Amino acid sequence: MKEFLDTAVLEPLETVATRIVHFLPNLVASFIILAVGWPLAWAMGRGVERGLRMLGVDRLADRIGLNALLTRGGLKPDPSHLVGRALHWALLALTAVGALGALNLAPINQLAAQFLGYIPHLITALVILIAGIFLSNFVARATLITAVNANFKPATTAAGLARWGILLVAFAMALEQLGIARNIVVVGFGITFGGVVLALALAFGLGATNLAKDYLERQFGKHEGRTKDDLTHL
Amino acid sequence: MPNMTPVHLDAGTEAKIQEIGHAEILVGIPSFNNADTIGHVVRAVAGGLAKYFPNTRAVLVNSDGGSTDGTPEIVARASVDLGAMLISERQHLLYRIITPYHGIPGKGSAFRTIFEVARRLNVKACAVVDSDLRSITPEWVELLILPTLNEGYDYVAPYYLRHKYDGTITNSIVYPLTRALYGMQIRQPIGGDFGFSGKLAAHYADKHVWESDVARFGIDVWMTTEAVANGARVCQSFLGAKIHNPKDPAADLSAMLTQVVGAIFASMEAHENMWPSIRGSNPVPLFGFQYEVGVEPVNVNVERMITSFRQGLTDLRPIWEVMLAAETLQALLSAEHLPAQSFHIPDEVWAKTVYDCAAAFHHSVLNREHLIKAMTPLYLGRTASFVVETQGLTTKESEDRIEKLGRVFEQVKPYLAERWGAVKEVRQ
Repeated sequence: MKEFLDTAVLEPLETVATRIVHFLPNLVASFIILAVGWPLAWAMGRGVERGLRMLGVDRLADRIGLNALLTRGGLKPDPSHLVGRALHWALLALTAVGALGALNLAPINQLAAQFLGYIPHLITALVILIAGIFLSNFVARATLITAVNANFKPATTAAGLARWGILLVAFAMALEQLGIARNIVVVGFGITFGGVVLALALAFGLGATNLAKDYLERQFGKHEGRTKDDLTHL
Repeated sequence: MPNMTPVHLDAGTEAKIQEIGHAEILVGIPSFNNADTIGHVVRAVAGGLAKYFPNTRAVLVNSDGGSTDGTPEIVARASVDLGAMLISERQHLLYRIITPYHGIPGKGSAFRTIFEVARRLNVKACAVVDSDLRSITPEWVELLILPTLNEGYDYVAPYYLRHKYDGTITNSIVYPLTRALYGMQIRQPIGGDFGFSGKLAAHYADKHVWESDVARFGIDVWMTTEAVANGARVCQSFLGAKIHNPKDPAADLSAMLTQVVGAIFASMEAHENMWPSIRGSNPVPLFGFQYEVGVEPVNVNVERMITSFRQGLTDLRPIWEVMLAAETLQALLSAEHLPAQSFHIPDEVWAKTVYDCAAAFHHSVLNREHLIKAMTPLYLGRTASFVVETQGLTTKESEDRIEKLGRVFEQVKPYLAERWGAVKEVRQ
């Protein structure tokens, strides 16, 4: 009976206890990395932001037109803040990888290695998304202004469609870069885009007959019935 | 800044310049598919040169943008019956240079070629006239050339009699703004028909602006502000009525506005050391015999303009919030629900609106093209307000209203200086 207890119960318990004792320092190290890394990332981000502000980077960015570029892209023209936040998140990601690595567990080590190998894809996807946001804001604003100047009533809808169309493309490209369900992304995008085009065609053909007629008349110079306007602006 | 890319002239033009060698007067006519009207313009110019400058070597330059309706052929063929004009003899032949221009398609690029030919021929006085004019007479040539040739003026701006609703960008933005900025009451800064010295033509040709809006509709206001800002002696000549073919109906208003207003705002940046210190304005000498003339009626659709303004208030408000000061936008909002017959945007609000836009352009709070295009409903609102206010008024009374607007722009100018200098916090 004693032999049975030793083999069946105590030995596994001893093994587990030994593993826990061996693992405990790793866990503590992991917590320490997290406990130090997290506030450090926050402090570094804030510190760099403040430092850049004190160095007058915002004024420099304004002078060289970087702020204007950010504004045109629909982002807050605050480069110090943007750099600070980017640093904060980058350090946080490294802290997380470090903390996981400190656990020294084979699957997690493998995961951490995969994550590190994944970083270039992540950065590319991020760049695609940021560029997409810039472009969508720019195109949406241009569409809105053009539509309002053309007295097109659903101007905001047109601008919204332009914005979300571009964001959708950017999002699909970013997901493809990340390798997430490539086929689903392509098929999903195709269905969504095709659906939007079909919906627009139906809306224009059925719901905006007068608009289409008016447009075609303007193109072919038939202005009968319209109030004449000879105003010359120049 | 000197121009980096030399003006390209084709071999035929170069040969013609070699043949002519030197001239005293040059008259330039930019064109693009103006077969209907350019014959009359060429005859008026030829008649004017023969009548008023019979002993002077003169050149007519047609700078064409690739017309497909036979415009250059008409220029080559057009001849004036000097006998009917009681001109017995012309001492010198009128040379003609018919040349295509290169660069961005537009009036400015056409002018650039004309400036270059003027420089190569070392002319003393130049004039440019539009090719779509129906009311040009030989006297225009005298009035545009003589102040430069005999009186020592560097720049001659036109002074026309126009219908009160003809040239509304000029009346509501260009005239009051240039008057307040540069302190000179040049009534038609973008008239399109100007006289200037050969020296000024060479100065224009040397400027590196031909990739910007100046290459298009911005050329007229650029020429005027460049002359004024460089201390040129400026005068005006009374040319009577300006009747011209309507602009291409397909021409987009917001594109025109972008080119003209963009050129003014860009000039403000180029001369920002000069204009802030100028207060008030002075009349500019006016030559020519002034007379009353009937002008063609202009139909205006006020409702459509007000609708555009209201849609702008609804849809473009987030953009206007970035461009305009909060008080200015608030003042514009108070016009939103006014009925058409009492629709009104006060002069001071309009002046501040234009100044806010200039400062926003300067600080690049938005993409600059978007910014000026977003001004279109604002401009239409102000035009509607002017039309409502001046309905039933004579041309003279309407002109007084435009002068009053010019004075308001001058009074509010310190506001511009304040906004121009301040870096605006962009609201997201």
